[in-house]
Amino acid sequence: MPMYKVRPFQGGPDSAVLAEHLPTCMYRVRNVHRHLQGGGSAAATVSSSPQDEVDPSLQALESRQDEILKRLYELKAAVDGLSKMIQTPDADFDATNIIHADEHPSLTVNAADLDTLLGKDYGALKDIVINANPSLPPLSLLVLHSLLCERYKILSAVHTHSSVKCVPENLLKCFGEQTKKQSRNEYQLGFTLIWKDVPKPQMKFSIQTMCPIEGEGNIARFLFSLLGQKHNAVTATLIDSWVDTAIFQLKEGSNKEKAAVLRSMNTALGRTSWLVGSELTVADVVAWCALQQTESTNAVPANVQKWLKSCENLAPFNSALKLLK
Amino acid sequence: MPGVAARKNQERHRDNAMDPPPADDYAKERYGVLPMIQSQEKPDRVLVRIKDLTGEKADEIVWVRGRIHTSRAKGKQCFLVLRQQQFNVQALVAVGDHASKQMVKFAANINKESIVDIEGVVRKVPQKIGGCTQQDVELHVQRIYVISLAEPRLPLQLDDAIRPEVEGDEEGRATVNQDTRLDNRVIDLRTSTSQAVFHLQSGICQLFRETLICKGFVEIQTPKIISAASEGGANVFTVSYFKSNAYLAQSPQLYKQMCICADFDKVFCIGPVFRAEDSNTHRHLTEFVGLDIEMAFNYHYHEVVDEIADTMVQIFKGLRERFQTEIQTVNKQFPCEPFKFLEPTLRLEYREALAMLREAGVEMGEEDDLSTPSEKLLGRLVKEKYDTDFYILDKYPLAVRPFYTMPDPSNPKISNSYDMFMRGEEILSGAQRVHDPQLLTERALHHGIDLEKIKAYIDSFRFGAPPHAGGGIGLERVTMLYLGLHNVRQTSMFPRDPKRLTP
Repeated sequence: MPMYKVRPFQGGPDSAVLAEHLPTCMYRVRNVHRHLQGGGSAAATVSSSPQDEVDPSLQALESRQDEILKRLYELKAAVDGLSKMIQTPDADFDATNIIHADEHPSLTVNAADLDTLLGKDYGALKDIVINANPSLPPLSLLVLHSLLCERYKILSAVHTHSSVKCVPENLLKCFGEQTKKQSRNEYQLGFTLIWKDVPKPQMKFSIQTMCPIEGEGNIARFLFSLLGQKHNAVTATLIDSWVDTAIFQLKEGSNKEKAAVLRSMNTALGRTSWLVGSELTVADVVAWCALQQTESTNAVPANVQKWLKSCENLAPFNSALKLLK
Repeated sequence: MPGVAARKNQERHRDNAMDPPPADDYAKERYGVLPMIQSQEKPDRVLVRIKDLTGEKADEIVWVRGRIHTSRAKGKQCFLVLRQQQFNVQALVAVGDHASKQMVKFAANINKESIVDIEGVVRKVPQKIGGCTQQDVELHVQRIYVISLAEPRLPLQLDDAIRPEVEGDEEGRATVNQDTRLDNRVIDLRTSTSQAVFHLQSGICQLFRETLICKGFVEIQTPKIISAASEGGANVFTVSYFKSNAYLAQSPQLYKQMCICADFDKVFCIGPVFRAEDSNTHRHLTEFVGLDIEMAFNYHYHEVVDEIADTMVQIFKGLRERFQTEIQTVNKQFPCEPFKFLEPTLRLEYREALAMLREAGVEMGEEDDLSTPSEKLLGRLVKEKYDTDFYILDKYPLAVRPFYTMPDPSNPKISNSYDMFMRGEEILSGAQRVHDPQLLTERALHHGIDLEKIKAYIDSFRFGAPPHAGGGIGLERVTMLYLGLHNVRQTSMFPRDPKRLTP
């Protein structure tokens, strides 16, 4: 043995006494040095014989480590597989399984339960806050606000943030005349619009459990989801894609891009009455608003023209249109 | 040897630079200590304000009165910084046609903080002067006279008193602690920061008056010596009043309400309020200025809440427009984000606040009052969600409000009362008041208040009283929180707290 020995402080019988005085609230660890000590004093409590080359507890520890390493490798492999799939979605991703797994038939409207959609109820008004720049009013959010008003009891409020000096009168009254006769907690949902100097529209709901949502398209998706429409994965993806196209190409894109979008819209609207399927979706709302704000509604293809008309026949769209004038 | 005597004479002059100039000085008429002004004459001389010394005045000869902020002599010239309120300008005395060597020395030896009259030529400077507010010009001194001499030793240095408390390299440089400042308040108030703070405070009062008078309010004056404690009885100062005792008013509450009963419809008052609370916090004073509002309404107390909130918003807007210089000056020493607000003001209900707190992990009973930490946390949560430093919390639990608060018509646990917050701290507390003597008696009994003591109060409602609501704002707190300062003593000119009664 390479270390020097120290004479035990406690005599043989005393050590047993000492052991009895150990606190009982802690768990015991077996003495790994025990088999190296002179047999006499410790022998009474030693369970394994000192001749054993490998302690079973060490073996157990080793096997546990092996197991953990194995699981880590498995996890790593799974993550590698996932990342590969995401890099090349077209090659590896097979959508058929997911479509079959999806129980919902296309466009079923479920009764929306705000509590399940918006999380735990703390017994007070749930308030959605949207910050938007008055120089770029997010028309689609106003349409969605009207759509939400048709379904829920909504307390709407418009504020001006101190970062903007003046807001046009029509924007301050964009929710129409409010009748705030009831107390706040009788409403199902709060919708607070703040005109503020922000580069992009921004939505805040629960600051504890949710990060702010940025961008008109993303907020529109969130608000539309409150209406409780459920779609299968393919339709949902199609809707998502139209929303992005509307925001990035129709609203912010070049003239060439816009023309291309209008062509593909025309084709899509030739097959169905709305952009996706036979019911109004968030894609229609966002695309319609983007088209209104590009100010070129006159020179659009025939199917799109027809679709524009049918949008405008709906009250929420109509009221948003008045705001533009 | 006449040389020795002359030199000794000169030495003496060096010791006391304020002696009359020596006879052989060609510039002796151009400097000196003027006899005390006892209003002997009315000269036609026009004194220019230092803040008006700009590039437009270049090459003009002007008279200026100011304090010597700093002086620095270098060979044949002496640089002075002249200060007037928050503004300062550099002045130069250089040996030449107008100034002699003795005059430069005289200028260099004037004690700091002395008041001087200076005649000089305004000159544009090629490079901006960093340390001064008037960066584009300096003053070339032709005459300099001392009007009032300061003692050579100052209890605190102004430059130390406006130094921002920074960490890092500059840490450890002298700053002045609060008590030294307050003990020598007159000098502390001369600093650019204090000047800005109190100019802004005057602005708050002015805007408060302006806005309310525009809204058709009447300013009233209420007595401060009263016979009975207005709110309960605790925290009230007793003063001897001839053969008996009287109390200092804790709020003009009762008198505001009596004015409403006397058909003044909308009243406000600005005046001192006294609280005998032995609490040594950053936001409690024993005497402060209350901005109080009381207003009769038609059908709903929110008419009053909206009116008060709009008044606050108008004040914030006015400050932002008219007092930007002052805000910037204070920010140099106490950096802070600009004050943000919404218009119309955000109004949340108490139960919403509780829900927000609960979501953040603070468990509170529905009828508990907000503790100071939860008040601060709530302020942060509201700021995060709505990005506003000013909001209203409505519908407080009835149990935590005074007896004269009107209960909610549908829920007996809550009341028609509200608090307003700036940067997460309460600045106003108000409510719809009970204007029915019957209900008032009931509420008072419920709170265990001796009816005899508040008889006069209850009696004032016996002859018909309009429904009314109101609230009181602390001027010092509003100033402190608008500027993002951390102690209410910084915004009270001569603060009174349990440990300070002077100056």
